[in-house]
Amino acid sequence: MGQCRMSAEPVRPSLPSIALTFATISSTAFGGGQKASIRQQVLSRNWMDADRFMDGLEIAQVLPGPNILNLALYCGQRVRGIPGAVAAFLGASLPPFIIVLIAGALYFKFASNPFVQGALRGCSAGALGLTVGNALELSWDERRDWIKILLLVVTALAVSLLRMPLLLVLVMFGGIGIVYEYLRSKSRTT
Amino acid sequence: MSSALQTILHLLWTFSQLSVLGFGGGKGIIPQMHSDAVTRYGWITSEQFTQFYTIGKLVPGPTTIFAALVGYAATPTRPLVGAAAATIGIFVPSSMIMVAFDSLWVRFETSPWRAIISRGLGPAIVGLVWSSVITIGRGAPKSLIAYVVTAAVIVLMLRVKVSAPALILASGVVGVVALR
Repeated sequence: MGQCRMSAEPVRPSLPSIALTFATISSTAFGGGQKASIRQQVLSRNWMDADRFMDGLEIAQVLPGPNILNLALYCGQRVRGIPGAVAAFLGASLPPFIIVLIAGALYFKFASNPFVQGALRGCSAGALGLTVGNALELSWDERRDWIKILLLVVTALAVSLLRMPLLLVLVMFGGIGIVYEYLRSKSRTT
Repeated sequence: MSSALQTILHLLWTFSQLSVLGFGGGKGIIPQMHSDAVTRYGWITSEQFTQFYTIGKLVPGPTTIFAALVGYAATPTRPLVGAAAATIGIFVPSSMIMVAFDSLWVRFETSPWRAIISRGLGPAIVGLVWSSVITIGRGAPKSLIAYVVTAAVIVLMLRVKVSAPALILASGVVGVVALR
């Protein structure tokens, strides 16, 4: 089936099958693995071609909201319009909601147990490490441009020391970044 | 107006604002979420915030689903309603933007603006992630063993590429033994 993908017409999946596809992915896959799972499912079921999918991935990453949820919405909307987007939303958000509620119920029941407290402290220390690792990785991507490094340092200081609200941070430092990127793209083309 | 209803409206409004501002996959909203949930409304403590965030990283799906736990804790008389309100707040507004913009963006398929906006927002988002480190650090345990766990996770994540849930679970095992 994979071989004749180029010539085949895109299929029009049923709404339950859209919801079920994203429910399966959202309840089993973690982090970056989810994007790969969505890609694999969408392409192997011939819902759209790879170019269309990559367009969606790009939009999903630019707009606010979790990338995986946005990507699911895009795929649902592409194949079945707004109802497809609603089906994808339910599939992508309900299983994590239920799973986190179960985790939360256990948390509030057992958080005072010393063993559970120890585990939670250990997990917190681990999650802090992941966040630092993530910040290092993202900073490494910006390393070639000292203006961007400066911008990210100033942003971090403004938020952590001056408690600058998120909206202002995005308008000011996000705005400066976008203007800078625009000027750079202009100077490249001329 | 009953205080539970008032809290539910506050949850909806607070998380809707965070949702709309959740650029970069929502990575940048952690400091603002902390200042709303802990400092402004006092729904949870810093330690709980860090632990909920940790649970968000541990379960499948987007990390920001831990908003549900904030809502759960904020409304002790109606925890499920609070959890649902926070989740609707954090997921629905950004989803509506995604659906509305989708048809618009297709027309600008070759537009350089998509790359300019996402690359331009990059440094601010990374700066916000560094602030998140400080936010999460405030509620993390302060002891030598905990610092060693954090450092070990950084190295394992960057050098050996161990998966995030595996690292958190392993940290939890160390915690049961050494951080009780």
